[in-house]
Amino acid sequence: MELLQGTLDVLVLRTLAWEPMHGYAVSRSIHQRTEGVLEIEDAPLYKALHRLERAGFVAAEWGVSENKRRARYYSLTPAGRRQLKAEETAWRRYAEAVFKVLEPV
Amino acid sequence: MIWGRLFRLPWRTSRQISRDVDEELGFHLDMRIEALVATGLTPADARVRALREFGDLEDARRYIGAVDRDIEASQRRNDYMRDLWQDLGYAVRKLGAAPAFTLAAIATLALGIGANTAIFSIVNGVLLREPAFPQADHLVRVLYSQQGHPDVSTPMDIVDDRTHATKFVGFSIIEGMTANLVRDGADAERIPGVRVGANWFSLLRVTPLAGRFFADGEDQTGAAKVAVISEALWRRDFAASPSVVGKLVRINSTPYTIVGVAARDNGYPFSAELWIPKVFTPGELNDQSRGARWLSMLARVRDDVAVSVANKDIEQVSALMETKFPEVFRERRAHLATVQAFTVGDVRKPLLIMLGAVAFVLLIACANVANLLLVRATARESEMAVRTALGAGRGRLVRQLMTESVLLSLCGATVGLAIAKVGMTALLSRAPQSVLLMTRASIDATTLAVTALIAVVTGVAFGLLPALQVAKNDLTSALRAGAGGVRSRPSANRTKRLIVVGEIALAVTLLTGAGLLLHSFTKLLSVDPGFKPEGALSLKLALPPRTYDSTRTRAFVAALEARARALPGARLVGISNMIPLDGSSYGFTFVIRGRPQPRSSDESSAEVRVVTPDFFSAMGTPVLQGRAITLADRPGTAEGIVINKAFADRFFPKDNPLDQALALGWGEDTGRVMRPIIGVVADMHATALAEAPEPTVYLSMAQHPMTSLSIVVRADGDPASLGSGLRSIVRDLDREVPVYSLQTMSERVAGSLGRERFFATLIAVFAAVALLLSAVGLYGVIAYAVTQRTRELGVRVALGASASRISRMVIGEGFALTAAGLAVGIAGAASVSKLLSTFLFGVSGTDGLTLLGVVGTLLVVAVLASWLPARRAARVDPLVAMRGD
Repeated sequence: MELLQGTLDVLVLRTLAWEPMHGYAVSRSIHQRTEGVLEIEDAPLYKALHRLERAGFVAAEWGVSENKRRARYYSLTPAGRRQLKAEETAWRRYAEAVFKVLEPV
Repeated sequence: MIWGRLFRLPWRTSRQISRDVDEELGFHLDMRIEALVATGLTPADARVRALREFGDLEDARRYIGAVDRDIEASQRRNDYMRDLWQDLGYAVRKLGAAPAFTLAAIATLALGIGANTAIFSIVNGVLLREPAFPQADHLVRVLYSQQGHPDVSTPMDIVDDRTHATKFVGFSIIEGMTANLVRDGADAERIPGVRVGANWFSLLRVTPLAGRFFADGEDQTGAAKVAVISEALWRRDFAASPSVVGKLVRINSTPYTIVGVAARDNGYPFSAELWIPKVFTPGELNDQSRGARWLSMLARVRDDVAVSVANKDIEQVSALMETKFPEVFRERRAHLATVQAFTVGDVRKPLLIMLGAVAFVLLIACANVANLLLVRATARESEMAVRTALGAGRGRLVRQLMTESVLLSLCGATVGLAIAKVGMTALLSRAPQSVLLMTRASIDATTLAVTALIAVVTGVAFGLLPALQVAKNDLTSALRAGAGGVRSRPSANRTKRLIVVGEIALAVTLLTGAGLLLHSFTKLLSVDPGFKPEGALSLKLALPPRTYDSTRTRAFVAALEARARALPGARLVGISNMIPLDGSSYGFTFVIRGRPQPRSSDESSAEVRVVTPDFFSAMGTPVLQGRAITLADRPGTAEGIVINKAFADRFFPKDNPLDQALALGWGEDTGRVMRPIIGVVADMHATALAEAPEPTVYLSMAQHPMTSLSIVVRADGDPASLGSGLRSIVRDLDREVPVYSLQTMSERVAGSLGRERFFATLIAVFAAVALLLSAVGLYGVIAYAVTQRTRELGVRVALGASASRISRMVIGEGFALTAAGLAVGIAGAASVSKLLSTFLFGVSGTDGLTLLGVVGTLLVVAVLASWLPARRAARVDPLVAMRGD
C-alpha cells in the first residue's frame, strides 16, 4: 500500500518517542509495527530523519551501536514532542471523520 | 534537559558531512545485509535485496548531504550569535562592575569622537558636497591674473573667449551688486544680487521653482526689464505665493518684472537673492575699454572635454589676446577653477587642518583608553587564566575583549553624537561670513556612517593591543601569580610608557599649532587699525542712483549729517563712501605731476574715498601733515586731495607730499585735473587688519557726492544706543533708502577677524582637550607605577630614603616621560608650523616664544600629574608595604 503524503514524518516521530535510536532501528521498528502492510523504502525514511533534524524536531548524535559500530542516533526534542502531539491529534480526527463516513449507519 | 549543544562541536567541512552521510547509510545497509544473511540468503542476494528495499540511494545521499549542510550553516550562525550575546552580556557585566573605569573611558572617547563628528560634518557639508547643479564639476569660474596678481574681467573678455575658445558650452559674466528692492507697502530692503548674462541659468542647467528663467536676448539693449528672485527672498517677502510671477518691483529705482524663482540649491552665487540681466552699453564693448575691469566670469566646459583641457584652451586664448593687445594685457593669463573649489577656496585648507587636529585628539583619546585597558588587563590576568583553563581559546578571549572595547567606543560614539550636535550649533553660531557655506553642514547619514566607522575602528585600535597582551599570557605563571594580586610584566609597562610618550608628543604638536595661531591672533588684535573703534557707531545706506543726481545727493548728505549730529549723545558725525575693514576695494589709477606717464599696465592705483569734513575726527584718525577736508572744500572751489601715510611713504619717500599734485583716473574729469595734495592722514586698514594699508586718496564729499554712503557717529556714551535714532532719521529723509550693516566700529574690528578668531579658538579648544587627556594619561601611568612599586618603595624607606627623595624619584619619572614626549612632539611641531605658515600674521613658524610657552605648559602639567602619585609614594609605610603581599 502506498504511503499517504506526510504520514512518514509522524511515524518517525512516534517511533522516536519511545527512546533514541539509529536510522536502521527506526526502519525496522516501523516495518514491524505496520506488519509490512505499508511499503516504506529506506531512502525517504532517512530523508525524513534529516529533514526533521533541520526543522529542530529531532536531534542527532553519533553513538555506538549494539555491535560496537559508530551509528547516528536520533532523539526527539521538546519541539518534536509537541509536533508529534499535534500531528497525532490531527491524524486521529482525520481518521475518525473518514471512518464516520465509511462505517455503515 | 537543555536541548541544543552545551559544548560546541567542531565545525564540519562539506567533505566531512559527505563522509558522515556515507557512514550512516553504510551502517544501515550493513545491518540489513547481516540480518538477511542470518535468515539464510547468500551475501550477494542479501545485498541486492537490501539495496532494493532502500530505494534511490544516490538521491538520498544528495538530499541528506544538502540538508546537513543547511543545518551546519545555521548552527554556525547560531554559535556566532550566541557567542556575541554571551560576549556582550559579559562585557556589560564587566564594564558595569567597574563604573569609574567605564565612565572615564566613555567620556574620553565621547570627547574624541564627538569632536571628530562635529568637524567632519562641517567638512562634509562644505568641502565634500558638490553644488546641486547637473555636471557641477564642469561648471567653472574663469579667473585672470596679470603679472602674478589676481585680476578681474573686462566686458571684452567674454567676447574674446566666445570667439576663440572651443572647449566650452558657454560663458556668462557676473557683476556683483547690492540692490535696493522696493515693493508695494514695505520699507526698502537691501539685498545681495548679481547681474548676469541671459544664458546664466541654462549654463547652470537648472529649472525654475516657479515662472521662468531668462530668455535669449533679455540681456540686450531695449529688452524688457526682468528679474529672477531666490527661494529665500520669495518665502521671506512674498509668502511663497505663485502670483509673484509677473509682479512689478523697483530695483535701484528701476521697475522690473519678476519672471521666476530659483530654488534654494539652484541659485548661484550661493549668497545671491536676485538676478537681473546685465546689459552692456556699446561703450563698454570696444577695444578701448579693455583696461576697465570689474567683472567676474562663469563658464561651462563641454561635457566631453576634461576641465584640464579646457583650462589649457582658455590660457591659450589669453596668450593670444596678449599678442593682440600687448599694452593692456601684458602678462595677463586666464585659468579655471571649478565652482566648488572657488567657493570653498579660503576655508579649504583651514578646515582640513582642523580635521587633522581633531584626529590628533581622537588618537590621544584612544591612547588613553588603551592605557586604561592595559592596566585593567593586568588586573584581570588571573580571570583570563581561569577562563583559559576552562577551555576558552585565545581567539575567543581576544574576541571577547574586543567586544568590550568596541562596546565602549560605541557608547562613546553615542554620547559623542550629542556632544557633536551641541558643538556644531556652537561652532556655526561663531562661524565667520567667509565660512558662509557651512550652513549646509548637518549631521546626516554620511556623518552618522562615518561616526559609526570611527567608533568601530577606534574600538579595535585601542582594544587590540591590550587584548593581544592578555592572549600572550602564559597560563600557569598567571594562575600562580594571580593569588598574589597585581603582577606585571616589564613589557606591559614599556607599552604603557610608550603610549604616554606618544600622547604627549601629539599634544605638543597640537599645542604648538594652537600657540602659533593664538600668538598670531594677539598680534592681529594689537594692530593699530588707524582709527579709534571704541565709542563709534557706523551704518551703511545706498541712495538709488537713478533718482539721486548730485544736487539731491548733496542735499541728502547735508541733511543726514545735520540731523545725526543733533541726536542726543552724538558728538561727531562723518560720512564716507566706504567704511574701513569692509573687505571691499575701490581702486583707481593716478598720475603724479611732473613724473613720466607710465605704460598703462604699470600704472599705480590708489583707493579712492570721498569724505565729509568731520570724517577723520569722527573716526579718530589723526591728521599728520597739512589739513583734513574742510567745509571750505565745497563745489566750485579748487579741489584739494588728502592722502594717507602709506601713499606718502610709497610715492614721496623723499619729497614733501604737500608740494605735490595728482590726476586721478576717476570721476568725470578722468586724468585731466591736477589736484594739489593738501594733507596727510594716518593709515586706516581698508580691507583687513592683516593686510598692509593701501595707498589711499580722500576727496571732498561736497565736491563729489556719492550715492553709496557710510556714516560714522562718535558718541559720548554707548554708541549702540544711537542705532534706532539713526535708522529713523534715514527713514524720515527717504523711505526708499534702505539702511543696513548697522554696527559699532568695535564690532567691525572683531568681525573682520572672524575667520582668524574662529580657527584660533577651535584649535585652542582641541589643544586644551589634548593637553587634559595627556595629563590624565600621564597621571594614570605614574600612579599605577607607584602602586606596583609599593613594596620596593617600602624597602627604600626602610633603608633610609627620605620622603622628599622618594617623591623626587617619582616626579623624575614623570619628567622623563614628558621630556621624551616633548622631544618627539617638537619634531612633529616643525612640520605643523610649516603647514600653518600661510595663516600666521607677524609670527614665524619657529616662534621662540610659542615654543617656550609649550615647553613650560607641558612641564607644569607633568609636575601636576606626577605630584599626586609622588605624595602617595612618599607616605608609604615600610611595614605595611612589605607585609603587603
